[in-house]
Amino acid sequence: MSAAIPNAALDARGVMWLLGAMLFVVAPHLARMPEWVGAFFVLMVAWRGWVAWRARHFPMRWVVFLLTVAAAAGTFLQYGRLFGRDAGTTLLILMAAMKLVEMRTSREVLLAIHLGFVLVMTNFLYSQTIPMGIYMLACVWIFVATLVGYQRGVGRPATVAERLVPAGKLLAQALPLMVVLFVLFPRVTGPLWALPQDARAGLSGLSDTMTPGNISKLIQSEATAFRVEFDGDIPAYQWLYFRGPVLWAFDGRSWRMSEFSPAAALEYPKAERPVKYAMTVEPHGKHWLFALDVPGSLPPGVSARHDLQLRSVRPVDARIRYEMTSYLDYRFGEKLPAGFREFALRFNTWQNPRTIALGRQWAAENPDPRRVIGRALQYFNSQFTYTLEPPLLESDDPYDEFLFDKKRGFCEHYAGSFALLMRAAGIPSRIVTGYQGGEINPLNRELIVRQADAHAWVEVWLEGEGWVRVDPTSAVSPNRIDSGINAALGPIGVIPSLIAADRLGILSNLRFAWDALNSQWNQWVLGYNIDRQRQFLTRLGIDALDWMTLALWLAGVSFAVAGLVSLWLVARDLPRRDPPAVRAWKRYGEKLARAGLARAPHEGPLDYLARVRAARPDLGPEAVAITERYVQARYGTGLTAPEARELAQRVRDFRPA
Amino acid sequence: MLVNLRQSIADWIFRARFPETSPVTLVQRRIFILPSKEGYVFALVLLVLLVASINYALSLGFILTFLLAAMGSVAMLHTWRNLAHLRIRPGRGDSVFAGDTAHFAVVIESPVRERFAVGLRRRDEEPVFADIAEREATTVGIAVKAGRRGRLKCGRVEIYTRYPVGLFHAWSYFDFGQGVIVYPRPDPSAGPPPSRSVSESGEGVPIPGEDDFHHLREYRPGDPLRHVAWKALARGDQLLTKEFHATASGELWLDWNDARAADPEARLSFLAHWVIECERIGLRYGLRIPGVSVPPDRGESHRARCLEALALHGEGAPR
Repeated sequence: MSAAIPNAALDARGVMWLLGAMLFVVAPHLARMPEWVGAFFVLMVAWRGWVAWRARHFPMRWVVFLLTVAAAAGTFLQYGRLFGRDAGTTLLILMAAMKLVEMRTSREVLLAIHLGFVLVMTNFLYSQTIPMGIYMLACVWIFVATLVGYQRGVGRPATVAERLVPAGKLLAQALPLMVVLFVLFPRVTGPLWALPQDARAGLSGLSDTMTPGNISKLIQSEATAFRVEFDGDIPAYQWLYFRGPVLWAFDGRSWRMSEFSPAAALEYPKAERPVKYAMTVEPHGKHWLFALDVPGSLPPGVSARHDLQLRSVRPVDARIRYEMTSYLDYRFGEKLPAGFREFALRFNTWQNPRTIALGRQWAAENPDPRRVIGRALQYFNSQFTYTLEPPLLESDDPYDEFLFDKKRGFCEHYAGSFALLMRAAGIPSRIVTGYQGGEINPLNRELIVRQADAHAWVEVWLEGEGWVRVDPTSAVSPNRIDSGINAALGPIGVIPSLIAADRLGILSNLRFAWDALNSQWNQWVLGYNIDRQRQFLTRLGIDALDWMTLALWLAGVSFAVAGLVSLWLVARDLPRRDPPAVRAWKRYGEKLARAGLARAPHEGPLDYLARVRAARPDLGPEAVAITERYVQARYGTGLTAPEARELAQRVRDFRPA
Repeated sequence: MLVNLRQSIADWIFRARFPETSPVTLVQRRIFILPSKEGYVFALVLLVLLVASINYALSLGFILTFLLAAMGSVAMLHTWRNLAHLRIRPGRGDSVFAGDTAHFAVVIESPVRERFAVGLRRRDEEPVFADIAEREATTVGIAVKAGRRGRLKCGRVEIYTRYPVGLFHAWSYFDFGQGVIVYPRPDPSAGPPPSRSVSESGEGVPIPGEDDFHHLREYRPGDPLRHVAWKALARGDQLLTKEFHATASGELWLDWNDARAADPEARLSFLAHWVIECERIGLRYGLRIPGVSVPPDRGESHRARCLEALALHGEGAPR
């Protein structure tokens, strides 16, 4: 008999579990947040641990209050606000620390654990990779184990196994229902309300500057940039140039979007081969939109700049969809105003001197700008390597370093150096960033364009032709343009040195497996949005077009799965049937009891037999046979199936009364 | 508030059902389950997590929310299972003096699985928790403060659990009509038993002092163990009790009228003190109070009989 009140007081071990779980869940944040936040949190946790372990007095209320106010003030000073992703998370971490310090009852512990669950969620605002998912699952496990610990201990703290095992079982048994909910819960498009400004800080996408190195970071991302549904055939790969930010300003290293850029009407002297399509752009938090070169129409709320860059009035914070018409065969910008011409030729003469000298030399040798362009493309084609992992360009003359020393690079290196060469040669030029290519989904003939398809190319202005697209990357790696990024890199294009050392192919196989896993993760877990859900359910044969139907399916399947889990659990509780010999023996006892010879609880089978034989000699032989069989079954060699049947038959035929 | 509501609903549901016969098995329809207060807070947290997941389009957020929600619903089943199929029967409860704590023993057995942190409590009182072993009787004592003399009923007991995660409260009620006798609290200020009443039998004044062995008689249940003739038993005789007589057959009547106190309750306390004193020093004593007369005797069972008579004075015949 044990009789104590669990939860009456906070036992130290339970508090330690909670503190450990909290440290675990906040750990990934510590690297992201300002140092003082981490220091404050760790200090508070240590303080609480000390209070619990050494049974010290709790801090006085006013101390806690002052610290809480200080934490909030610190957050405000750091971020200038209390809401938003970074500020909100920081505030939550600090408040959780204060909750830990001041909690005194088990009810407050439960509250702290609930806070812990919210902290798990905040981690997902920053990272949703597979390792992060696994790590957070471990955190949830520890939190649930802490919950169990508070219920489990009767008269003593629960052991590690008594916490972790039931918690693990709970979570394991919750998995089927979780999967059903995840698959069937109706997804909505876009956020419920406007997101704080920094909510999209982790979003990948193009930026308004281009420095050698920043697009290749995008290439690592499998995230979808946008989807295109074509009205009719999908144009060939080499036509799929989706125009994004146009960069004019050059500072010797980076290319930037120009501040001054008046709006313009979309008028072309020549506009042929129209393509109609619908774009579904994933949120990227910026103003620009994408269209196939060149856009022929403007969706509502969108304007076009004179360099054909589309701009939305509101930043793209939610997925948006718009209908477009583009012309693949076009001519535009035949007249270049002097101001723009001057702007498209500007560069610093003191930076990248060798590149500038080369451009000037080509211009001197070839009076026709077309010949200069051909010369440059030929130059790239002859000596350069296309790679995702280009060497860093560290000098003050990055394009000199690239063109003459490293000679390995990515589209931004080629576009940047090509544009500079053109400007040096007196040809007005600018950089266009956007996306090129994409992947055709064979199921719905949709073109999916991912961040990995980000690209940069050059437009040069030629007398009589206007702005003409030149893609220097195609000179280096024609595959990149003809069939996409993966073909261009080849299976071992990315980390050649490592792959070369890996003769057995284990490493590259591992990398492929990891890539494939990540791709599935992106596609089925992170990318499981309204479109994917619809697509998946259609494949399962559920035409859940509206959310009402989906909700009905959700309710039905959840109940079914929860019911199955319940049945399985409850069935294990049903009283187990006795083995046949025991059942027969009990019936034998009941029959004798009716004849006035009930077996006493303490009486063994042989004593019972002796008593029965003494009282009813007529029953002797049968009683002996039944008792012998029973003793053999329980205490001897056991019974074979025929012997068990024989015993049951004998008991059935037994008639003492 | 919730607890009160639950109590009043239970009062209404069970108004005609109790007391019931032992043993009780907690079958499905006897067990109630509702979210605990923490459970409602948890639901609120889930809602916050869900809204955040939708708003920020966090797939892992959805997974977290749904995992916790599913965990909650599985936990409900576990909480219910922690109570289901338990077999409960009353244990013995010992008499106590007023002001002491009575313990009502309840024997609980689990036919399958060990059960954890099963709580028992009477209305509005502190619960007592126990782990219930599988196929093994676990005795739990429900402590009740015995306020005044008389019969103390255990009343309806709530058996409940929140294991494993405290989000749900599963409970049931049972009432075996268990009761104990609460003796009047002995009052030492009553002094020694009055000598006047001794003279009635005219056999001299008893001298409290050394016990003298008088004779052996057959053992009667209730005889103190230290008076059992162990040597005789070892020789193979039957169970015998050694009779001691302090004096030459001194008999004492403890009389209602001798207890000179202000009110009846105080009289009862005086008499209780004398009963205990007489038993302690080994006198033969009888008790005479209005309506009851216990002839002189001695021994544990006699003492209990006298104290019970005092406890139930004025309460009518035992039911």
